[in-house]
Amino acid sequence: MHLIFFKVAAIFYLLASIVYVTFLLRSESSRCLSGFGFILAGLVAHTISIVHLFMAEGFFAMATGFNALSLFAWLVVAIYTTIQFRDPNPVLGSMAAPIATVLMLVASTLSYQITQPIVPVLKSWWLPIHVSFALAGNAVFTIMAMAGAMYIFQERLIKRKKIGRFHRILPSLETLDTLNRRALPIGFFFLTLGIISGALWASSAWGSYWNWDPKETWSLITWFAYAAMVHQRLALGWRGKKAAMLALAGFALVMFTFIGVSLLFVGHHSFVSLALRMVQA
Amino acid sequence: MIRPTHDFLVLGINHNTAPVLIREKVSFPGNYDGAITRFMTQTGGLLECIVLSTCNRSEIIAVTKDPDSSAENLIRLVSEIHGLNQDRIRPYFYIKKGPEAVRHLFRVTSSLDSMVLGEPQIVGQVKEAFRRDAAANTTGPLLNRLMHRAFFTAKRVRTETGVALSAVSIAYVAVELAKKILGDLEQRQALLVGAGEMAELTARYLANVVKKPIRIINRTFENACLLASQFEGSADSMEKLDDALAMADMVISSTGSCEPIIRFQQMKAVMRRRRHKPIFMIDIAIPRDIEPEVNDLDGVYLYNIDDLQSVVDENIGERRLEAQKADGIVDQEVNKFINWTRSLEWAPTIVALKEKFEEIRTNEMSKMNGKLGSLNEAEKDAIEILTKAIINKIAHGPISFMKQSIKTKKINQHVDFVQRVFGLDEFVSGTEPEEAKTSEYEIDHRN
Repeated sequence: MHLIFFKVAAIFYLLASIVYVTFLLRSESSRCLSGFGFILAGLVAHTISIVHLFMAEGFFAMATGFNALSLFAWLVVAIYTTIQFRDPNPVLGSMAAPIATVLMLVASTLSYQITQPIVPVLKSWWLPIHVSFALAGNAVFTIMAMAGAMYIFQERLIKRKKIGRFHRILPSLETLDTLNRRALPIGFFFLTLGIISGALWASSAWGSYWNWDPKETWSLITWFAYAAMVHQRLALGWRGKKAAMLALAGFALVMFTFIGVSLLFVGHHSFVSLALRMVQA
Repeated sequence: MIRPTHDFLVLGINHNTAPVLIREKVSFPGNYDGAITRFMTQTGGLLECIVLSTCNRSEIIAVTKDPDSSAENLIRLVSEIHGLNQDRIRPYFYIKKGPEAVRHLFRVTSSLDSMVLGEPQIVGQVKEAFRRDAAANTTGPLLNRLMHRAFFTAKRVRTETGVALSAVSIAYVAVELAKKILGDLEQRQALLVGAGEMAELTARYLANVVKKPIRIINRTFENACLLASQFEGSADSMEKLDDALAMADMVISSTGSCEPIIRFQQMKAVMRRRRHKPIFMIDIAIPRDIEPEVNDLDGVYLYNIDDLQSVVDENIGERRLEAQKADGIVDQEVNKFINWTRSLEWAPTIVALKEKFEEIRTNEMSKMNGKLGSLNEAEKDAIEILTKAIINKIAHGPISFMKQSIKTKKINQHVDFVQRVFGLDEFVSGTEPEEAKTSEYEIDHRN
């Protein structure tokens, strides 16, 4: 059942992406309204899918790569929708919609069922807490990176005096920098909570807070990167283009920690084989 | 025999056909209650009429039986109203009839015929003229419909093309740019360097955009004070320039100095002081006040008058391109509307045809009534439905035959033919607006 809604949501996101991208390439502003309509429809279907999943299989279903990616996509769309209602701009949608679509497509290539029985160590309330915080942090940093990309593009256009259609449809530098300034502490807060909750969980499961698992290491690196960013912004007053570029660099690190580490390294964060590894550990 | 004999007529002058000297003479500024429109309608022998009068155009949009003689009448009337010689003003007028009149009105309302292509005021002006003349009772079903379609077309042009999107004056381009850099401008600090004539013009324009008091710096302190007092701003002398730059969000420089006043190294230090908070600088002085290299500093966006002018030029070119797209939309809407007016020609015949068939059906049914008396209610209903279905099926052929004539443009022959074959002459009566009125609502949903 939740799979049907998942597919419906993925199709709506795809439609929204098509509408938004055609909007970017052509100038028919009436199109982007229908794009946001598709996003909303997708979000509703997606929410139903996730709620149903949790009701059917419990919060522990978050342990699969499929559901983690699905939840990640949901968070990105939900944050985008909130921003869109407060300060409508079609360009953000033309980045958020394709990203959500890609996440959904990647998720659907992964196994959505828990094939092995869940080991007792995973059956802890720390799982949904830890995963939710970590994914929320990722989603906020994703949106922040989109704003950063738009800032760099808009800044270039203004600096080089290329005042055309792209310049008009992109938000103002001020809007984008404000988005960066507001998102940074929120994302950092979630990331911190994600790491702390992970450490507490590790302590209750294995008796030690920190095991230098690859994901833990890379999360720590990411945390330092964002901590530096918060410091630059607040103490040194870095803003504008520098802040936007840092947001992009930080995002690359986040994505590597989220997806790259799980694929490249062996550890207790590898999605599908999770349960088996636990047994060996 | 029914034959609607009304046609659309537009008679007018605008910025393309007449110099301002003539345009200001042939205008109708006193037409607040539509009295002039009523006078035109009655004296000019028009069925429906709207008078549109703006700075750049005066137009009479009318429905009439005979466009040619009505146009003559109107030119005579206009020249009499304004006390001008008919033959002197005649060459300045354009006369458009039928589909061309419709297209002209759609283009005017969509701002494709405006002096500044895509300017937004014209829709409001046309709406106002329509509202006034509708209240004065000079419009009827045809003009109501025509205006409704004109506004619809204007809306499509506005939302589906970029005709009205880009800014086409230097001041407007500058304000739009400032908004793209600084966001909301109301609480931003504006700084004017120089207190000459250009600075005064700028200050006047800025006062509409920025709520915070404007700061003015000038070599001669007294002149700065003089200008500042006009706009409730504050004045300073040149020594305070760096401090003012550190505080300002946008700077407009217009001094008559031969040397640059704001230099690269100086601005670099200022940017460090303001922690690279973005600043929008406009240099409208010739020779320049601000060294061009300043634009390379992080957070500084420097535009001079030529930069702004080239944005304006580009935007005008872009609007022209978009206008071609808009003309495609206008063509579509004109065709739709013309098809609708053509449908008025066959609508009464369709009604007559259906009435005749229904009459035959009820006659024959009543003749049969004696023989059908033994049937129960359900069976009687079935026969009703059956006979109605038969006449509808039969009527379908001639009706679609007439409707198809829209494509072949032989509408009159087709309608004539149907009327003669089915002997409808005695059924169809009256051709005039009353008739059109009833049929309007019938066909309304189709377009």
